Order: sequence, then structure tokens, then C-alpha cells
Amino acid sequence: MIEVNGLVKRFDGFAALDGAALTVPAGSVYGLVGPNGAGKSTLIRCLTGIFRQDGGTVRVGGEDVWENPALKARIASIPDDWYYFTQSSIRDMMRFYRGFYPSFSMERYEKLREVFQLDERRPIRRLSKGMQKQAAFWLALSCMPDYLVLDEPVDGLDPVMRRQVWSLVLGDVAQRGTTVLVSSHNLRELEDVCDHVGIMDHGKVLLERSLAQLQDNMVKLQVVFPDGMTEVPPELPVLHASRIGRIHTLIMRMGAQEAADLLAPYSPLLVDAVPLTLEEIFIYELGGADYAVKDIVL
Amino acid sequence: MQSKTSFFNGTLFRKNLARFWPLWGLASFLAALFPLALLVKVLRDGTYLALPGDPAAPELTRIYYSVVGDAGPVLFLIYGALCALAVWSYLYSPRSVGLLHTLPIRREGLFLTSFLSGLAMVLLPCAVAGVLSVLTSLAAGAFDPVGLGVTVLAVLGQAFFFFASATFVCFITGNAFAMAPVYFLLHFLAVILDWLVSAFARGFIFGFDDYSTGAVEWLSPAVYLQNHLGVISHQEEVERVTAYGERYTDRVLVSVEPENFHLIALYALAGLALTALAVLLYRRRRSESAGDVVAVGALKPVFRYGLAALAALLGGQFLYSLFWGSFQSGRYFDVLPLAVSMALAGIIGYYAASMLLAKSLRVFRGSWRGILAVALGCAAVCCGMKFDLLGVADRVPAALEVRELYVSAAGNSYTLTPEADGALLEQVRAVHQAVIADEAYILSMDAMTTLPAGMEETDLTWESISLTYYLKDGGKVSRWYRVPVTRDRLARAGTYDNLLDRFVNSDAVKARRLHLDDSFWTVTGGSLYVNVQNESYDLGSREAEAVLAAIGRDLANGDWGTYDWFRVSNGGDYAMDLGLEFDGPDGEGHDYISISLTPAMGETVAALRQLGLVTDVDLVTYRELEPEDYAWEAEPTDAGPQEAVPTTAVEVLPDGGAVQSRTAGEVSPA
Repeated sequence: MIEVNGLVKRFDGFAALDGAALTVPAGSVYGLVGPNGAGKSTLIRCLTGIFRQDGGTVRVGGEDVWENPALKARIASIPDDWYYFTQSSIRDMMRFYRGFYPSFSMERYEKLREVFQLDERRPIRRLSKGMQKQAAFWLALSCMPDYLVLDEPVDGLDPVMRRQVWSLVLGDVAQRGTTVLVSSHNLRELEDVCDHVGIMDHGKVLLERSLAQLQDNMVKLQVVFPDGMTEVPPELPVLHASRIGRIHTLIMRMGAQEAADLLAPYSPLLVDAVPLTLEEIFIYELGGADYAVKDIVL
Repeated sequence: MQSKTSFFNGTLFRKNLARFWPLWGLASFLAALFPLALLVKVLRDGTYLALPGDPAAPELTRIYYSVVGDAGPVLFLIYGALCALAVWSYLYSPRSVGLLHTLPIRREGLFLTSFLSGLAMVLLPCAVAGVLSVLTSLAAGAFDPVGLGVTVLAVLGQAFFFFASATFVCFITGNAFAMAPVYFLLHFLAVILDWLVSAFARGFIFGFDDYSTGAVEWLSPAVYLQNHLGVISHQEEVERVTAYGERYTDRVLVSVEPENFHLIALYALAGLALTALAVLLYRRRRSESAGDVVAVGALKPVFRYGLAALAALLGGQFLYSLFWGSFQSGRYFDVLPLAVSMALAGIIGYYAASMLLAKSLRVFRGSWRGILAVALGCAAVCCGMKFDLLGVADRVPAALEVRELYVSAAGNSYTLTPEADGALLEQVRAVHQAVIADEAYILSMDAMTTLPAGMEETDLTWESISLTYYLKDGGKVSRWYRVPVTRDRLARAGTYDNLLDRFVNSDAVKARRLHLDDSFWTVTGGSLYVNVQNESYDLGSREAEAVLAAIGRDLANGDWGTYDWFRVSNGGDYAMDLGLEFDGPDGEGHDYISISLTPAMGETVAALRQLGLVTDVDLVTYRELEPEDYAWEAEPTDAGPQEAVPTTAVEVLPDGGAVQSRTAGEVSPA
């Protein structure tokens, strides 16, 4: 389990993290989403022991991360801009990782060679961005981590390789109980792999729930009102409304049945609940935090 | 499983060496060149000495020590910084620091591993050179284990210190472009500041004459080590025979010993302290400081105000000399223009430092407090110096404090010690005190463009007095004054003119000029140039002794040695140049004095005649020999006020490097 409580991190007085708190259950895949500058990467750097927090706690498996080599040996991370030594090949980096991670598995490394099919003797700098990302996954997964922390992990990967990578990660989660924290802007993809989601903004985690809870807490309805009723009644608690012809699409923060009950007095001709995507949840949740798509005509 | 307390990681150690092999590989190649060339010579000739058969081991050891003392500080200063920059470069990039700091190893472990790998990179070229040197010694049959051991220790000490100091700088900076300038600035900061502050003080403090006090030179280790490390050579005389069968005496090196090599040990200890400090800094260092100029928050104000102070001192004096130098009256700074120049330069320095720290040009807002502090600081420093709040100008060291006093006045210089010259030293102190008391008078005379009313041109002369007190506590007080000497004041007791005259023309000082009764100096020869004959003669030691004795008799008779402060012409001197050479014991110093021969010096002239060096024909004065050059002496002088033409006594003493008292001078007759 990963537990972050009241995490504060300041840069020259600016609070990049301002009391962030999240809990990643053991063996789960936790998607951390949020707008640019929300503090996701900073939180991940605190979580991997790069940054020392100014306040709060960062605990993994019940232990503090900072300067804890035994714990860090069980954490593998892939940052959005993975670093490798300029002259090094994948094989050189493998030796380097093997020298630090006691659980590094050569057997896994050999098996993953068949998956990634990269020239391990070629300098990494000569590989494409996507291939470098594959190399990072190859090495991170060979470390046999109990905790995997990923920051924009599949950026630059082609769709096939994305599926391949997620398949490997989810395989680890299923077989070894690996706990995964992944930060990404690709919400459609997270929707497929995450079972928990946390939304960050302005250095805080605004909400975190299981994906199912999140989807149950917000509803998208397609409604057709009776003749003569062209507008959505203003008294309805609607987060967002749009209209195409006579069909109104309403987003409401409540369960589907509760929303239907609220609409019943208006005798709608049609009420149909449609599943919300994570992207929609993200947009409408943050809309409440004054972060919405603005209709600006340039 | 790796231990939680693991402080060393072999993988990282090997990786560092592997990553940076071009650096230490090239250094090893360069380090191998000279010993390899020597080895080739030894293998070819059987020795590396010009003359086979001489003791070879001391010569080889002398080479080792010379390399350690002369080249070591400079090479390790540069190469140590390069190696430190290589192994700590990961701290300077957010990406690389991200990788290294996610690894399961404590900061201390990263530090120790990287430190040792960097030190290994520094030492590898030394090892290569060392092995080749040992092979050379063995091949030449001149292996000196003691010399080699001392050299190895000295190399280790220097390598450790310079690498440790570079490491420390790597931890206070967050950027490779900042590390190198900060490293070299810190290594030379003490001598630069000493020079700057001395230049600043010279422009304010009456008589202050230090170009650098040297008091803080030890804080610039490369300079200090280069100036103080050396080799003491012991030689013996041997008889040799040339290829033509001629015998001659030569000196061969029989043993050498290192000079001041203990300083390396002291610096190595300082390196240890810097290393410990670097570890502490690493534990507190924020990874996000990668890319910053200064990585330690507490040092940011130091950097900002330090750079402002440096800019104020350097740039302020530059701006002042550029824009106000030609308007300055007298020898000393005008306070207001200098304060303005310093404040301007200091503010520029402050802004530059702020921009570097913020990595932005937009630092003007919110800086007014800093600007005000810099401007007020500059004004306060200028006022403090102007009014000499520390009392530097008034300081005359007490006799008990003085170990040695070097005096230069009236064209002669003397070294006095309290033990041997207590009375003379007191006389000089009295002159010094009188000069300080008359500061206002001296400065007013200096600022005058015409002679004071009622004073003739021939009533005034300008003299330089240089005083350097070497104190028992190792300190030094150095002063230089250019003072007016007038006939009126010369005759008045208690004035510095009078006190100076009493010192310079005392019997004791006159005798010192000739090294009479001085066991340190032995007259070894001399020369005589006779203008009439246009001939020069070298005097042997016996001839020189006879001449010196004759001058001594003239001195006793009152016919030689009195310094005429207002002498304007040498027309009355005999047209010849007489010089005597003196040597100290064991070649420890050399001195040369020149004597102006006058018709009054009967004993000396008689001695020269007796030696057959001069005849009546040669005894012609300059005025008689070249009357046209002295025609001006007969011209009437303008009775009205004249422009003062300061004349400065010219010191004719060549630096003999002697420890004992040295005198020389061109002295006119009474």
C-alpha cells in the first residue's frame, strides 16, 4: 500500500504540493490524473525518493521512502524523461540496474528480450523515443518490483506496444500483486487499466475513488422533454447541459435513479442513462474546480 | 539482499571509471610522457645525468620533489576539478539526479562511491607516472625509497586536497557552468581580495604601501603551495678534469630534502574537513537544485552580496580611475566620486548575482533593499577608510613587536633587528611617528603647485622613506612616504626632517653602509671605471679590502659618508665609478655598493694610487672633464617663487637576497 498524507513540497516559496493525500491499495493500479502543473510529477518524485518533502508523510508498505534503500530496492519507476548514461546500451544499463536492485531477474530480462526485440548492444541514444521507453520498461520490469511508479509511461509507444506493455504490467499485478501508480493524461487508456483514480489539481488530490465508485457518483442522461419545454429547468442541479435537436444531454453529480426521480415531475418523453468516460468525469469534476473547457472564439 | 547500510557500490564505481575513461586515459598518457622519455634515455645511456658517475639518486629525487612543488599544485588544481566535475555531474541535471536518487542506496553511499571513483581518476595518471619513474630509477641504479615515499605521500595529499575542494564546490553549486568559475574564484579569492583591498587601502591610508599583504595567501592553496614548496639541495665540491687535462672544481648534488612539504599534510587535513562538509551538504541538498547557480539556500545571500562586494571593489576602482582619475588632487582617493563608483559597480554586481540566482533577467522588483544595502555599505566602507577608523595610518609597531625592520631612505637600505640595532630601530620609529604626526603638512605640501612664499627651490627636496616591519607574530606592516625635506625644518629638532637626518648621517649608519664591523659580509672584489682613460678595472679581493679600509679611514676622518639632502650636482666628484662587492657566508646573499669619490677622500685616493689604479691624470672632477654639462651651475637663479621640482632619491641597491643587513649607496661628501 502506498500512503501519502498532507504532502507539502515548495519550490522557492511556491507550493507545488499543498497537502496532497492519496492511498493506493496494495495490488491495485492507481491512475493519477490532473491538469498540467497539478503536481503529479512532483508527487511521484517524492514517492520515489528524489525529492524530500517539506511536510507530510510518504509511506510505502508502511515505511518512509526517504533514504530507505531496502524499500527503494522494491520500487521501480519510469519517469516521463527516463535518464540513461550517454554512451550506454541497454545491456550496459541492465548491468547498472542489476548492480543496484538485488531482486533484478536475469531470467525475466531474457524473456522480455523476446517481447521488446530491441538491439541491446546499440547505444540507447540511437534508439527512437518509443524504443527508449520500451527499454525503460524492459529494465524496470526486470527489477521485479513490488511497487511500480510510472509517469506518462506509454507516451511514444505505438498502439500494439502499448497493449503489450499494459499486458505485462497487469500480468505483474495479477501474478505478483504489484502495486502500480500511474500518472497519465491519456484517460481513455487509464480507464482500461486502472481500478482506482485520483484527481489532482493545485497540489491537492481533489478526489480519489475506485473507478466504479467514480462512475456511480456521476451520471450522464439523454433526455427529451415534452413539447413546449425547450430549456432544461433551472432548478435541476446540472453540471453540464448540451442539446442536439430535442435531445438534451445532462451531466449530474448523483446516481442514475436519483437523477431519473428528479426529472420525473417534468414528464420527460425519454430518459436514458449513458456511461460516463473517465475523460468526462475528469472534465466535469475539474469544471467544479474552475478548470473547464472555455468556449473562446479566436 | 544488499545491506541497508551499504556505503559503497561497486557497480557505480566501475561505471564512473568506464564512463570517464577518456579523461583519465588522456591524463595518464600525458603523465607518462616525461618519465617515459627519461626511461628511454636511461635505457640508451645507462644514466640520465650529463656526467656519468655522479650520484644519480639525489638528482632523481630532486626531480620528483620539483615536480610535486612546482607543477603539482597547478596540475591538481585543474585536473582535480575536471574529475570532480565528471563524477558529480549527475547533480547538475534533473534527469540524471532523478535516476541516481531513485536507486536503492543512501546519499552517503552515493557520495563515498562517487568520491572514491573520482579520486581514483585523479590518482590513476599519477600511478602511471609513478610506475614509470620507479622503473627509470631501477634502470639507472638510483632507487631512492625515501624520496619515492615522500613523493607518493605528497602526491596523495595534493590529489586528495584539490579533489576534495572541487567536490565541496560541486556541492555548493548546482550547475557545471557555475562550478568551474566558483571553484577557481574560491581558490584565488584570497589573493585577489588581498590585492584589491590593498589597492583600495593605498588610495586612502596615509603611507599604506602594500600591494598585497600576503596574510591570507594560505587561503589560496595553489598559490601558497607553489610559493612555499621547494627543494633544499646539498652539494659537495669535487675535482674534475677536462678533456684537455685541466683540473677544475665543480659541485655535485649529494642529497636533497623537501622544503615545507608538511604544508601538504595540513591541506590534506583541510581536504578531509571539506569532504565531511560536502557529505553534510549532500544530505541536505535538494535534488531540485539541479541547474541552480548556488545549490545551498543559505549561501545565496553570501553569493549575492559577495559578488556585489567584489564588483564594488574591482569595478568601483576601475570606474573611478576611468572617470575621475584625471580630476583627483593628490595621491589619495576623493571619497564622494569613489563611493559613487563603488556603489554603481556594487549594484551591478548585486543585480548580476540576483539574475544568476533567479536564472532570469527580471529581478529588479523587490531588490531595492539589496541595492540600498550595497550603496550604504559602499558609502560606509569609503567613510571608514577615509577617517581611518581602524587606525591603520597611525600604527607604528612597538619595538617589542618587531622581529626585523627594513628601512630604505636617502638612497640606501638597511635591515635592523631589535637585538643588534635597538637604538637605530628606535630612531627609525621616531622618524615614522614624526611623519605620521605631520601628515597634514606633508599632504598640503604635496598638493601645492608652487613653492611656499620665501622658500627657494634649493631649500626643498623630496625624499622617499620606505619602512617594512616584520613582526614577531608573523605579521607585516609596510609603509612608504614621500616627504618634503626643507633646510628650515632640517635644522629644527623634533621634525621628521631632523630626525631622519640624524638617523641617516649617524656614525653607526654610515659605518653600516660600508659593512664595517659586520661579520656577515666579506668584501670579495669590486670594479673601478676611470672616465679619463675610459678603462675599467676589476678589483681582486685584496685590492677591494684595501680600498674598503681606506674608505673606512676617510669615514673616521669625517671625509666621507654624510648625506647631503640638497645636493643637486655631482660635478665636484672625481670622474670615476668605484664599486665594491660583498658576499655572505656560503653564498647566502650578495651585495654591491658604489662609492662616489671626492677630492676630500684623501685616504681612498691614496690607496688607489698605491694600487696603481689611478694617477694624477685620472683625478679630474666631472665638472673639469665635461664643463659644458655643468654650465647650468653658474647660471643665475630666478629669485622669485619657483615651481617645486620634486626629486626622488634613487635606490641603487640591487636585491642581494641577503638575510643580514645590506647597505649600498652613492654618497656625497660632506
